Amino acid sequence: MHHVILERWSRTPSVVHARDARIKLLAAIIFLIVVATTPPMNWLCFSTYATALLIATLTARLPLPGLLKRAALVLPFSLVFGITTWLIGDHARAIGLFEKSYLSAWTALWLAGTTPLPRLLKAAEWFGVPRLLILTIQFLYRYLFVLSEQGQHMRLAAACRAGSQGTAKALFRAASGALAVLFARSYQRAEGINRAMYSRGFTGTFPAVTIGHLTAADAAFLALAIIPVVAVRFL
Amino acid sequence: MLLSSKNTEVMHIPDGYLSTPIWITLDLAAVPAIGWLTRRAQQEVDESRIPLLGVMGAFVFAAQMINFPVVPGTSNHLVGGALLAFALGPWAASLVMTAILAIQAFVFQDGGIMALGANTLNMALAGVWAAWIPYRRFGATKTGIFLGATLSVMVSGCLALTQLLLSGVHLPNALVATGTGVFAISALIEGAITVAVLGSIERINPGWVRRPNGDQNRVMGVLISAAIVLAVFGVLIASTAPDGLEKVAEHAGISSQATTLYKTALADYETHGLSSPWARKATAGLAGLAAIYATCLVIGVIIRRRTKAVSEPTRELAATR
Repeated sequence: MHHVILERWSRTPSVVHARDARIKLLAAIIFLIVVATTPPMNWLCFSTYATALLIATLTARLPLPGLLKRAALVLPFSLVFGITTWLIGDHARAIGLFEKSYLSAWTALWLAGTTPLPRLLKAAEWFGVPRLLILTIQFLYRYLFVLSEQGQHMRLAAACRAGSQGTAKALFRAASGALAVLFARSYQRAEGINRAMYSRGFTGTFPAVTIGHLTAADAAFLALAIIPVVAVRFL
Repeated sequence: MLLSSKNTEVMHIPDGYLSTPIWITLDLAAVPAIGWLTRRAQQEVDESRIPLLGVMGAFVFAAQMINFPVVPGTSNHLVGGALLAFALGPWAASLVMTAILAIQAFVFQDGGIMALGANTLNMALAGVWAAWIPYRRFGATKTGIFLGATLSVMVSGCLALTQLLLSGVHLPNALVATGTGVFAISALIEGAITVAVLGSIERINPGWVRRPNGDQNRVMGVLISAAIVLAVFGVLIASTAPDGLEKVAEHAGISSQATTLYKTALADYETHGLSSPWARKATAGLAGLAAIYATCLVIGVIIRRRTKAVSEPTRELAATR
């Protein structure tokens, strides 16, 4: 599954993986802004961006074909809008949609593939994202897989019981019942988590985030990643 | 790929679609909005309840595993913004939706990172509040739940479409109409699913559904819902106007070669924007909406006074008996 693969990627050792999450987040956001503001037909810029991403992907030792394929998931959406825009005659914008959406998806994948989510969230908190939101995202991510698996089991169980038989109304009612049960289980699980936390000594507040110091290597990485791209865009 | 969230009902705008002035404006608007909603959510939820928020977010993801047979050959599933609002209250629901969108953007590449501001405003704020407002007025009735869930999807979808159109993504009017039609159908399906699921949840434990407090008023509910629909469609229709803002956006954002891009883009945007016919139309539209809203308020106040005037003597009567 997608997130399992990303999780595995994000924990492989490389020079890029070792960099501070704040630096990688900052680099990715600057890069995305640069991509978003580039005029569509500027081939020099877009080929530089693609090269920069290629180098960043290879230095991070991420599997290039797998990553490019995953970034292509955004393309069906682009196809609809790209084709209509092309047919209307705005070719530059149609091409721009493809270039920008693909390079942006590649950047997002690179970031997720080189930085485990907990570190990315710590970086986000350092940048001022509210703590309650960060904690919610952490719990969400932690239980995403647990509950999704439960959902899959329930779907399988429903298929075993009735398959696709019965009237649409009966099936609809069965599905809503299943969803209500999933909701109930989620709710009870949250209460269980609460009890478990308190029994392990949770005092009602979460400990503050500790984040390491930036190193010279981090600064060098940011400069190397951003200067060429910004230079080719604005000079 | 089960989790790659095939959430076709509501658009998650990817990066590369919105024009620079649009995504910058929406991101800048989303930052204080998220800060504000988090503060409000914090007031309502103490820290020990945070696991519940996260788990409910995970539930919305997992809910995609369960398909609802509505239209043969297609699979429909819960979008969830409305259900979250009815279970957690609007502030906490907005927070959970924001968390979901962040996970979708950063982990599943579903929706862009630069477009996160737009997606958050469309789905986590507008979507959740479009569900809550009618629900608050109708109470936890089937009508309130259905109307809320329907409006939630409709509003999010139309806002996303509007932002794409304003960004200069060309769509023929027929396609915009088709898109809106698809949103309307998805919205009605979401309404039906939410009513059914919430009914089942109530049978398991009535305490899990949050009942809105404050005065309920069906007439106000209908009027406010109508105002929301009018507002969203009004903006959508205005954005299909071929000239105006789109050209401005192109001029300001895309062809601007200035180094201080952000400042220039916004400056151009404002000066040209105000003089453009679109902006005038939009201002007229907003003024119209303000008038509708004011009318709604006045009618609401009158109705409230009347019902009070009627109900107080009867209450007194009941008390003396």
